[in-house]
Amino acid sequence: MEAVLSDVVVPEDLLKFEKKYNSELTKGAVSKDTKFEYAWCLIRSRFSEDIKKGIVLLEELVQKSSKDDSRDFLFYLSVANYRLKEYEKALKYIRTLKNNEPGNKQALELEKLIVKALKKDGLVGMAIVGGIGLGVAGLAGLIGLAVAKGASKS
Amino acid sequence: MGRQKEDTVRQQGETERGHSETEGGHSETTWGDRMRTNIKMTAAPYNYSYIFKYIIIGDMGVGKSCLLHQFTEKKFMADCPHTIGVEFGTRIMEVHGQKVKLQIWDTAGQERFRAVTRSYYRGAAGALMVYDITRRSTYNHLSSWLTDARNLTNPNTVIILIGNKADLEAQRDVTYEEAKQFAEENGLLFLEASAKTGENVEEAFLEAAKRIYQNIQDGSLDLNAAESGVQHKPSAPQGGRLNADSQPAKEGCSC
Repeated sequence: MEAVLSDVVVPEDLLKFEKKYNSELTKGAVSKDTKFEYAWCLIRSRFSEDIKKGIVLLEELVQKSSKDDSRDFLFYLSVANYRLKEYEKALKYIRTLKNNEPGNKQALELEKLIVKALKKDGLVGMAIVGGIGLGVAGLAGLIGLAVAKGASKS
Repeated sequence: MGRQKEDTVRQQGETERGHSETEGGHSETTWGDRMRTNIKMTAAPYNYSYIFKYIIIGDMGVGKSCLLHQFTEKKFMADCPHTIGVEFGTRIMEVHGQKVKLQIWDTAGQERFRAVTRSYYRGAAGALMVYDITRRSTYNHLSSWLTDARNLTNPNTVIILIGNKADLEAQRDVTYEEAKQFAEENGLLFLEASAKTGENVEEAFLEAAKRIYQNIQDGSLDLNAAESGVQHKPSAPQGGRLNADSQPAKEGCSC
């Protein structure tokens, strides 16, 4: 699963599916398949702007599809958000998929990795908050000292 | 560690984006190559001498993911849902006394994935082309899968035809003989296997690996050629398409 998450699209492929998408767009309507193909390439880009564009397309697809049809879109919405380090969103999408298909191995594996990443982020967050806490405490101590000094002077 | 490293590097790449995007858009590639080099350097030492890239292709429902799962986990997955997009698995196995790491991309068989999964064919050293012996339609579609495999891989890519579900003899719809003949006519290796019982699963991956190894030994497969699908460790050749798919050695999971 890690390999799937870190897999990067070949630039020629992205261009190819972008062309297909744009040509359908100028003709009027983009087919669901074309939109998905382009989105799947976009979210494997190493540029976050591309990934975001892919997310918009996938969200449009999810809205227009039935529960049974949405599995691919939900899975790649989760992958895309993971790649952007938006782990909470990633978790939301993969859990929706998991609710529809409780035994899906791909969903379970991805969920596990997201939870792991969230925990890691949480630890970093705690360290930062902890650091600020220490700073605040130190500052309060200094102020206290100053106040005490002022008080003793007067 | 390898994974963390990669994340950090990727993040840097994203912050650089603002500049590169305006100039080159999607065609900018050098950064990724640099990233891969970084990963490779941090991933040593290796406990294998070669990496072979494999793909598994064929109609939906023929048991591609089950074959991969049986190969990497030695377990049969009953009720396996259709694969979404692609899956990946690895296993190190011994081929003629050499440790070889197989990196296997398992592609979804559903039609709507086909256009994009074609990109995974590039740089494959081996391809498992799977049909279901109980469903003739999956056998009839082989020529289309073979065309894709031939067009999108290199001439040295070893293709092995696998007739899966060999345990379901009573429901057989394709004879061993005709498939064998098809394989011979098209220069493919051939085995009937069962992801359920495990019969010939190991052999399928191994037979292809042996042939690839043979091609390396007799010089017909040039390791330095781009898209050979093979990396030699630890003195890995620089560049080449395969690197795009290589994972840090540390990540030796079977996901």
